[in-house]
Amino acid sequence: MMKALGSSRLSRRRFLTASASLGISTIAAPHVARADDPTLRITGWGGKWGEVMKAEIGPAFESEFKCKLQTDSAFPYLPKLQASSRSAPIYDVLHTNSNEQWAAAEMGLVEPKIDAKLVPNLTDVYPYAISDKIVGVSIFTSAIGLGLRTDKGYGSVSSWKELWDPKYNGVRGGYVIPVNSLGQAFLMMCGTLFGKGQTDLDAAYAALEKLKPIKIVDFTGAMEKMLLSGEVGLCVIHDSGIYRYDGQNQPIDFVAPSEGVLSLEQVLTITPGSKMKELANAYVNYMLRPEIQKRLAETVWYSPANSKVKLDAKYDAKLLTTPEKVSKLIQVDWKWYNERKDEIDQRVNRIFRA
Amino acid sequence: MSASIEIAGVSKVYDGGVRAVDAVAMDIRQGEFFSLLGPSGCGKTTTLRMIAGFETPSAGAIRVDGADITHVPAHKRDMGMVFQNYALFPHRTVAENVAFGLRMRGLEKAIIAAKVKAALAMVELSGLEDRRPAQLSGGQQQRVALARAIVIAPRVLLCDEPLGALDKKLRQQMQFELKQLQKKLGLTLVFVTHDQEEALAMSDRIAVMNGGRVEQVGTPTEIYNQPTTRFVADFIGDTNIFRGERTATAAAGPALDVGKGLILMLPLGADTQGSGVLSVALRPEKILLSPRSEGADGTAGACAHGVIENTNFLGGAVLYRITLEGGHRVLVQQPNAGAGRLFVPGNGVTLDWTPADLVVLKD
Amino acid sequence: MGNSASHSPLLSSDRNAAPRQMVSASMRTASGPTHYGRALYLAINVAILIFLLAPIAIVVVFALNPTPFIQFPPVGVSLRWFEKFFASRDFMHALGFSLQIALLTTVSATVLGASAALALARGNLPGTRLIVATMLSPLMLPAILTGLALFQTYVLLDVGRPTWGLVAGHTLVTLPYVVRTTLAVLHNFDLRLEEAARNLGASPLRTFFEVTLPLIKPGVLAGAIFAFIVSFDQFPVSLFLVSPGNETLPVTLFNYLKFDLDGTIGAASVVSIVLAFVVVVGLDRTVGLRSYVKL
Repeated sequence: MMKALGSSRLSRRRFLTASASLGISTIAAPHVARADDPTLRITGWGGKWGEVMKAEIGPAFESEFKCKLQTDSAFPYLPKLQASSRSAPIYDVLHTNSNEQWAAAEMGLVEPKIDAKLVPNLTDVYPYAISDKIVGVSIFTSAIGLGLRTDKGYGSVSSWKELWDPKYNGVRGGYVIPVNSLGQAFLMMCGTLFGKGQTDLDAAYAALEKLKPIKIVDFTGAMEKMLLSGEVGLCVIHDSGIYRYDGQNQPIDFVAPSEGVLSLEQVLTITPGSKMKELANAYVNYMLRPEIQKRLAETVWYSPANSKVKLDAKYDAKLLTTPEKVSKLIQVDWKWYNERKDEIDQRVNRIFRA
Repeated sequence: MSASIEIAGVSKVYDGGVRAVDAVAMDIRQGEFFSLLGPSGCGKTTTLRMIAGFETPSAGAIRVDGADITHVPAHKRDMGMVFQNYALFPHRTVAENVAFGLRMRGLEKAIIAAKVKAALAMVELSGLEDRRPAQLSGGQQQRVALARAIVIAPRVLLCDEPLGALDKKLRQQMQFELKQLQKKLGLTLVFVTHDQEEALAMSDRIAVMNGGRVEQVGTPTEIYNQPTTRFVADFIGDTNIFRGERTATAAAGPALDVGKGLILMLPLGADTQGSGVLSVALRPEKILLSPRSEGADGTAGACAHGVIENTNFLGGAVLYRITLEGGHRVLVQQPNAGAGRLFVPGNGVTLDWTPADLVVLKD
Repeated sequence: MGNSASHSPLLSSDRNAAPRQMVSASMRTASGPTHYGRALYLAINVAILIFLLAPIAIVVVFALNPTPFIQFPPVGVSLRWFEKFFASRDFMHALGFSLQIALLTTVSATVLGASAALALARGNLPGTRLIVATMLSPLMLPAILTGLALFQTYVLLDVGRPTWGLVAGHTLVTLPYVVRTTLAVLHNFDLRLEEAARNLGASPLRTFFEVTLPLIKPGVLAGAIFAFIVSFDQFPVSLFLVSPGNETLPVTLFNYLKFDLDGTIGAASVVSIVLAFVVVVGLDRTVGLRSYVKL
């Protein structure tokens, strides 16, 4: 590892000065970003994630690395990146879901892999985070499973297939597949459940057809609200969308079906034309640090990718924090999916329009 | 205060080569009520707009009291104008409309107020100061427009068909008042109209325009009694126009053979130079009508026979349309001399006139 | 004044209808259609009103309902979402930024649009129709493409995503409204009014401010109000042109919506509606919208 660091002397110097300045900044006044500081342009979510990033994690990074962090949290990232020039991209680090990252990688807008030599924390991540289903690195994941209303006497649920139970007619929830990653992942799951596997689209279409009547929404936030209001009794949803209401005494629960949960990864990639490669790698490494992972995981209920992270008991019990739990994750082949997206979109639109 | 205007060979050619005004020349005297009369499209309004400075002549010059103002912008010409439809500022009150020109001249508020009051009194609109134009009748708007134009004591008052929108009775009253005001203030007034009666009634002098050119300039009586061109004779009032070849009669000098057996004796002093072809005009009221008398053949060349075609009762007079024996059609106007002495269609009549009443026209 | 006049036809038809119904039973069939016709007319109007106002009503209910999701019937009245909205620095910043952009856009679109309309109506320019069509074309183009195209242009020019760039984008899509409304008043404008002013001694500049501007003001102002509202509510153009940390309210709302769909959205919408209304009424009161010329 020393050798790996040594291969990039500049980067080591940066690390050294960074840690030195960290020492100073604890004594001296906190670092205030100046106009001539280098700027790292990234994307990032809004909501709770955005709040914590803006209030704590972003400023800490800025003062440690003597830079400015400019976070674009206004969608859509991909068209903006596409519209800017390859040699001077609008972002240095792209943070988005895995399917978009694959699309970006296919267009050459982001680098397909993160260099472990430049991002030491990469050695500590679970295999899924840098698997062949991932472009760049997944820093967190959510588990897509089922959301259940616990006060309607539906009984316990253990399988994906129970979503097809006629007793949920009228209170079944799903997504507008062309615009929602959860919906897309679920479609692949249908192929696994009723056919020869993820890529068995015919089986998936047939299964979707049988899901009707179903309430479909475009944003996951809307699904959460429908579940909270009781409009929906059983739906496809990610664990963080349920756990975020922890402590509010809501009659809702997350079910991880026995067939496995789908992963909804939070992926970071670096743009090839970035002028801030060093800082970009430092940022990716920073986001994988155990303390940063812990803070964010406990804020938004994402399962951390770094295997060294120790969460508080409450979070540890529910999130995917052990190799056994992580092994339940099913990753979607987004490259395969994106290549057929238009055809799939057309088909599912026809299914749900009827 | 009032000025004279000299229009010297002014032409206006628009893009596309349309000659709206063609070498117009006239002198408008100080304190004169001068009308530009003609059918629409004759160039009278364009001429007025060039005097006002809204259009720039393509050629020629306009002088006011001898000073060339051809290229002086409109707002520096010190001329008042009354527009067709008045062009009152709809967003301002009557008083504000009248005060506008004074305000532009930077007068003190007190002076403006006094002048506005006087001007409104002059046009008998006192008490309507705070109304808006939309709240006034047509006649009242006309007076406001007049007050607004004369309150600045303009060197020249320009009027573009100012009475055209009023009904007949009100128009006659306003004609009278305008004329009176003009005389009282000694204004040089240029008045554009297509209404020949209005022009005849009000003007000191009239310029009759046609096709961008001035046909004739003269007093109303000159214009009426001695039209110099066929157009003027035709445009002003009803008239009979004959066209023919000059010939000589042994008895009484020059005569005109207008065909179909009719030979007209020309007035003695008539300008008969030039080509042999001439037009002459004879006003309908200058012809005397009597029941046909076979025997009396009247004076040769100043008498004809015909049959009443139809009649047009005008009240004070009767207009007869008569077909002469040779086939010429003639208008004759006779005073209404009483029920028993009117002709009816089919009556044979004899027409007599004095050769001196024939007016030789330029073509 | 106009009200009593426009009411009178209704009143008179009332008066006519009553005696007619009393005359005889056979006449009743004759008056029937008019009666049903009026009922239908009223029903259609009420339906249109409901159609127009229902979304606003739903937003208000959503904003005042204490639960974090839309619920019918509402379980109570609470200002918690308004509190959350006003307490949020992000929303407050976005609101202030949106207002700033909308005001700048209104000024630039109004000055440019009104000047352009004047030039087009008066300038005797060659190809006037083509210029008008070009100026109105942002209305035809999907706004999202306008935004994307501008974004790409800014990227190519390497100017980043400056605030003036956002104002320029908004100006582009609001300009057609000002041009259109101003052209409409100029179309009916009696040029003799300007000549009258010139004749009375007003210089061209003075004529513009004393006569032309006051008379075209209703059209210019109507365009300005459109510009303000279109800019304040603008989403598609802003989507690409906002820069990190400087997002307009609609963009912030959209991003918020993706993560939290609670009454804050409703509260923000109510505040926007009220603000837009206040600005429109304020403009009307201060500059005056009542017209001397018909639009």
